[in-house]
This record gives sequence, C-alpha cells and structure tokens, in this order.
Amino acid sequence: MLEKGKISPRQAGELMFITIMATVILFVPAITSELAGHDAWIASPAGSLFGLVTVLLVFILGIRYPGRTIFQYSEDILGRFLGKLVALSFVWFFLHLAATVVRQFGDFLTTSFLPETPLSVFNFTLIFLAAIAVLSGLEVIARMNEFIILLVVSSLLAIFSLSISIWEIENLFPVFASGIIPIARGAIVPAAWHGEIVALAVIMPFLTRPRGALVSGAAAVLGSTALLTTALIAVQSVFGPDFTASMHFPIHLFVRSINIGRILTRFEVVIMIIWVAGVFIKTSVFYYCAALGIAQVFGLSEYRPVVLSLGLIIAVFSITLYSDVAELAHFLRDAWPVYSISMYSLGLPLLLLSVSLVRGKLSGEAQGKDKQDG
Amino acid sequence: MNNAFFALAKKIKKKIKRRTEESRPKKEKTKSELAVSDELKQRLQAVKDLLGESKDIVIREFKSGNDMVKLAILFIDGMSDKATISETIIRPIQSGNLSIKFNKDLSAGNALAAIEKHLSEFAETSTVPDLSQAVRQMLGGDSILLIDGEKEILVFGTRSWQSRAVEEPATESVVRGPREGFTETMRVNTSLLRRRIRHEGLRFESMKAGRRTWTEIVLVYIDDIVNRRVLEEVRRRIAAIDTDSILESGYIEEFIEDSPWSVFPQIEHTERVDKAAAAILEGRVLILTDNTPFTLIIPTSFFQFIQAAEDFYERPAIGATLLRLLRIAVLQIALMLPAIYVAVTTFHHEMLPTSLLLSIAAAREGIPFPAVAEALLMEATFEVLREAGIRLPRPVGQAISIVGGLVVGDAAIRAGLVSPAMVIVVATTAISSFAIPAFNASISLRLLRFPLLILAGVMGLYGLIFGLLLILIHLSSLQSFGIPYLAPLVHGTADDAIQTFARIPWWMSFKRPRMLNTRDRVRQKSSAGFRPAPPDERELFHEEVKKNAGKR
Repeated sequence: MLEKGKISPRQAGELMFITIMATVILFVPAITSELAGHDAWIASPAGSLFGLVTVLLVFILGIRYPGRTIFQYSEDILGRFLGKLVALSFVWFFLHLAATVVRQFGDFLTTSFLPETPLSVFNFTLIFLAAIAVLSGLEVIARMNEFIILLVVSSLLAIFSLSISIWEIENLFPVFASGIIPIARGAIVPAAWHGEIVALAVIMPFLTRPRGALVSGAAAVLGSTALLTTALIAVQSVFGPDFTASMHFPIHLFVRSINIGRILTRFEVVIMIIWVAGVFIKTSVFYYCAALGIAQVFGLSEYRPVVLSLGLIIAVFSITLYSDVAELAHFLRDAWPVYSISMYSLGLPLLLLSVSLVRGKLSGEAQGKDKQDG
Repeated sequence: MNNAFFALAKKIKKKIKRRTEESRPKKEKTKSELAVSDELKQRLQAVKDLLGESKDIVIREFKSGNDMVKLAILFIDGMSDKATISETIIRPIQSGNLSIKFNKDLSAGNALAAIEKHLSEFAETSTVPDLSQAVRQMLGGDSILLIDGEKEILVFGTRSWQSRAVEEPATESVVRGPREGFTETMRVNTSLLRRRIRHEGLRFESMKAGRRTWTEIVLVYIDDIVNRRVLEEVRRRIAAIDTDSILESGYIEEFIEDSPWSVFPQIEHTERVDKAAAAILEGRVLILTDNTPFTLIIPTSFFQFIQAAEDFYERPAIGATLLRLLRIAVLQIALMLPAIYVAVTTFHHEMLPTSLLLSIAAAREGIPFPAVAEALLMEATFEVLREAGIRLPRPVGQAISIVGGLVVGDAAIRAGLVSPAMVIVVATTAISSFAIPAFNASISLRLLRFPLLILAGVMGLYGLIFGLLLILIHLSSLQSFGIPYLAPLVHGTADDAIQTFARIPWWMSFKRPRMLNTRDRVRQKSSAGFRPAPPDERELFHEEVKKNAGKR
C-alpha cells in the first residue's frame, strides 16, 4: 500500500464537501446567473444533484474492486495498456484541476484583496502549503479538514444569516420566465463542479469502512448543493441576476455589503479566510490524487518522491494555462463543464463500469474466483 | 540499565575473586577459623573499593550477643534512619540478654535464618543473593547487613531523609480546590494519589531509568479503565530510554514524546495532585518521577492546555464554560494580535472603520519605523523584560517591571519611537499570554508569534493565514501516543468536543472521553445518576395527588 493512513467515512465526506464547496460558491453564482438568469437558484440544485450519479458510479466500482483506487482498477478492467492510459488521463485531470483551482485562488486574491502582488506569489505559496500537506499524508489532510470545515461552515452560515435583512426576495422571481433551456444550460456548470467528487474513487480504498463511502459522498454532494443554493439565493436576492452575472466574484461584494450597526462591517476578510483555507484543502486533495496516481501507474513504492516535481508542474500550469481572469472565467463557463463531465465525472467511470460488468458476465463463473482474490 | 547492573555485578565478583586470591597464601598459614572472618572483611573491602572513600557511607562491624557471629551493617548517612537501625537492628542482635530462643538459634551456620526470623517483627526485611544488588539498594537508602559466612545479604527498609513538606504548588494555584502538590519524594507522592483514589484498580508500576542516577519512574493508572495499548506503548518507550541521567520529568518527556522537534508540548505536566488524579480517572497514564514534583500526563491533546483544575470545581455553566471560551479567545489573541494589527495597518486600511483608522493613523504620525519593525521591537523588548523579571528575587523583579514597563514604555511613546496603539497591542498580547493556564503551551505561542508577525508584515492577512495554515498542518500531523493532538476537534465524537469546550455538570457527565478509548467508558449510569432534585418535595407532591385522588 502506498498510503498507510486510514480515514473514517465521515472524514472522507467532509473532505469531499470542502473539496467541492471551496470554489463553487465563489465562481458558480456568477456563471449560473449569466446562463440561467432569474432561475439560477433553481438551476443550481438541479445541476448539483448530478454529483450523486458520479458518487454512485464510483461507489459501485469501488465495491467491485475493493482496496484498489481508480488508477489500479482501470488497469484491471481495461487491461494493461488501455488501463494505464485511462489512469494517466485521470492523473492529468487531477493535475489540471489542481492548477485551475490554484489559478482561481490567485486571481481572486489579486483582483479582490492584494492587487499589487503578483499572481505567482499566491500560487507558489499555496502550492508550497499543499505540498507539505500532501507529504504529510491523507490522514493529516483529513484532520486539518475537520478543523477547517468548522470554520468554513460556521462563518458561511453567520454571513448568510447576518445578511437576511438586506435580502430582496422579489429579485428571485419570476420563476421559469424564459423556459427550461436556460435552466439546463445554467445547471451544467454546478454539475461539473459537483462531478469533481470523482476524487472519491482515489480515496475510497483508504476508508476504514469503504461501504460508508456512498452515504458520505452523497452527504457531501447534498451539503454543498444546499450551501450553493443558499449562496445563490442570497446573492441574487441582493444584487439581482444581471448584476450578479456581471461580476467575477459576486459573493465577495455581497459580503462587503453586510453592515451590522457601525462596528461589524467589512466581513470580506472572513471570505478570504474561508477561501484560502478551503482552496488549500481542495488543492491538497487533487494534488494528493495526482501524486498517488503517478505512483500507482508507474508502480512506485512511495508517492512522496514525485510530490515536489508535481508541485512544480502545477505551479507552471497555474500560471501559463490562462492569460487572465476573463479567460479563466470563459474556460470555466464554456469549456470545462462539457470536458470534465463527458470525460471524467461521467464518461470514463461509466465506461469502466460497463466494461467491468460485461467482462464479469462474459467470464462468468470461470473468473468468479479470481475476482474474489483480487 | 540491565547492562549497567551486570557490569556492576561483574566488577564486584572480580574484586571478591582478587581478594580471595591475594589472601589465599595467608589462609594457608593461618587457622581455618580466621579464614571465616576474613570472608566478611573481603566483602567489606570489595564494597569499599567499589564506593571509594566516601564519607557518607557508614560501615559498622559488630558481633552478636553470644559472640558466635560477626556482622557488618552498611548504610548511607542521611538517607537512612540511624535511630531505627541502632534500635531495631543492631541492639537486638548485639545484646546478650534478648530472648533465649534467639540466642539459641543464633549460631555460625544458622545466623541469617535466625536474624531474619527474629527481626522480621521490627523492620521490613528482605534477602538479596549478591552483593552488587545489595549495594544498589543501600545507595537508595536501605541498610544492608552482611553476615560472616552467609552468602545472602539481609536488606532492611530504613529509607528516611529530609524532604520538603507537602505544600501548595506555586505554578498552578487555584482559588478553590485542594492545596496539596506533589513533592520530590516518591513515597509521599504515591500516598497522595492513593489517598484520593482508594479503588483496588489503582496501580503503581515501578521502572528504573538512568544508568547513573537509577531514577525511579512510576507509571500510575487504573487497571480496568486504562487503554492497554497506550499503557503498553508508554512502557515500551520508557524501557527504551538509555541515558545515564534523569534529573527531572522533562528528560523523560523529551525521550518519549512523538515529535521531539515540534514547538508544541505533547505531554502535559502537573504538580497538582487533584489534577493528576482526575487524569488517571479519565483513563490516562500518569508518570511519576523520583526527585521532582512534576508528573507527566499521557496522552495529551492540545485542548487540555485550556483547561484548569479549578474548572471542575466551579459552577459549570457560567464559571467554567465561559472561562474556557475566554481562554480560547485569549489563545488566539496571544498568537495573532500583533500580526493582525500589523497586517491591517499596513495592508488593509479599508477593513477598519474610518474613525478608528483616523485615530490610528494620527497616533502613528511621526513614528520612524514601519509597523512590523515597531511590533518586533516592542515584542522583543517585552520578552526581555519578562525574562529579566522571572528569575530575579521578587523585590528586584518589581523594580524591573516598573522601570522597564512604565518608564521605558512611557518614554518611548513620548519620544515618538513607538505609537501608543502598538503599546496597547503588545500589552494586551502579553496579558493574554499570561492567561493561558499551561506555561509550556504559552511559550510555544509566544515563539510562534514572531514568524506570524513577520509573515503579516510581508504579505498582510494572506501571510498571516499562510502561517496559520502551516501551523495547522503541523498540529494535524502531531500525535500523542496514538491520539491526534487536535482531538477531540479532529478525532473524537461530538460528545467529547462538548466536554472539552464546555464544562458539563457532573450529574450530566456519563461517559469518559471516547477519544481515549478506555476499557471502562462509564462514569455513571445515565438512569441512576440523573439530575439531583429535592426528593422529599416530589414525594410530597405525589402523596398529595394520591390523597386528593382518594378523596374523590
């Protein structure tokens, strides 16, 4: 085993929750509002629930190949060559994802908080932190997350409840004004985000009780759906859909507009803390998945030696993949959902599962014994 | 440790051998009767050779009352009770007119058995087969009796030395609670614990460590509560200690903790007997070390450092729970306040309300340093002040704090070197760091304040968060004997977390912490130990109801 630590299903669920949630409430409200208009707050739960499909696929695969990660069982299913290819493409997916997340992080901080600091400072420091976390292992990431989740959830709830006085619910209506098409278009973005839960396929073998993955994965999706919907309702009811869509980070301005008396103002620093902590966990998870994937595909005995070099790759990608925040937003809105859903959160897992089922049927009893051993 | 023991045994055997070889030619010349008495002399000489001419070793040779046996008693002056030795050991053997039976039994071949039999009612005795072991016990304060012609050696438990009385511990004083603290003497300490926990499950397990100091280390636990695997691990780690000296429990702490390079203390220590007893009852293992009042509590999680013994005696809701929340706030202030101040005044002016910003800006007008430098300077000054004051005699220490704190601080502000706001920040931080109950945890926070300050000065709040996340990674990777350091926030159940941050009333605390994985988790059965209510009133009410029902 490359990873000796074990985490509980609850920890895994919390990890997945933060992994999805960290960036979703920052980017998705604007994009969904742009695509779905008034109905963004309907589109988001509709899309988010797609994550449940991914959880189910990953769970069935994980149960069929106990103790093995997606990098390993793709080889079991598709054979050596094709399997390694699929596994490597997943490694690429996690690397790409990590780089994109880091880039989102840097862009947010440079546009909203420290405009004069170069992007690379934020990217490199975050990757440095994540590298230390990955080197410390999955258990440590999960433990940190247990601390961070308290911070994130309690401050988000505090922000939403403090802002109720400035909500204008009329902004959410009319419902279904422009039919179902915009909702469907708007739903695909949160769907892509929640499809990131495919990382559960890497973590599942390291659960103390792998069968708990289904419940905790589903809980993670539902929890993050609830938070995203709350965020959308809050933001839209304050700004209205058009203004929301015109911003890159509506939640940031939203938090700025909360004033309690004359003392409790300027909550945006809270958003920054949540953001940094959450993105740190998110990056660490994908970074970890990529490192473990490389190690398993190439049969290394340790994943730690590849961590630093992968960090460099992520750092370079995070700077060179997108030229500016507009391009990043464009990519996230137009290209990313189709790409990630069709390939990684639905396409490949579905392919793996169906081939596995067909092969299981074909070989029948003859291979029944082998499977038990494997 | 064992090796040392064998080495000593070998040495003594060699010496005895050499003596006998040297004396052999003499032996041939003289009569066999003299050879017997030589045997005692040789052994005494061996002891003298081993211990050198140390003045504190007392060797008294004497004969039994009936002149039939030669004996020698050895003890260390100041560590054994001389009166007991002469009254209950030497006199009964020496005096000719003791019991007839004793006199009859006491003969050359039978002396050891006779003495053991007849003296057992006077003192605690035991026999030891070889000289090296006996000498070792003598060095611990026992007295040893060598009998001519007998290979085995009688050891009398005569340990008695000057020790400090049981006093109130200076480091952990309380307003309410017992005032007894541990002392430097092991027996006193074990009796203090035994007096509090009279359960038969209380175990004192003795181990020795230190090749030269032979320090006694005692593990204390309750047999049917403690987690066996933790206990096993403690034993293993202590047995693995191979050093020549252990003078304080701090030595042991360093030898057995999980991450010795960490800035955070992973083992809690206490001088308070009640706190130690509470830890044992919770299912933890206590390590007593001879010659120090500080005991170690294992395993330890970080949040133990925000608890004080007194919490458990005060009113639960208002007293203890709010105090704990206050301590958590204080912990954060002690760690971050200067960094936050620097970050906000340097990078994030927009976060402050305008009026506050204006007053801070006005105060900073004309200050020659950037806020980071100012903060570092003031923090460093404060640390120096504190270090200077801490070890001086009390009257001088006060002078230091007056000169350093009042005169220098005031002058610095008047001279325009530091801003008053910075002085307020530094002073608040200092007071906060004093409010943390555990001194060793507060040192770690003091240390971490400086890197955070520098990070905040370089990158603002982002730098501060960066630093905090680094600390969080570190804290998450720490463990104390298999239990995550951040437990119960990280590892335990919600129940544990509530018990840690709030003080649950005693009538409501049914279970021991889940994270410790103790064998017996039940403190009280939930049905039996429910909320105390005035019983007679309730019964009266029921009787009233019954009466009324009867009337109808």
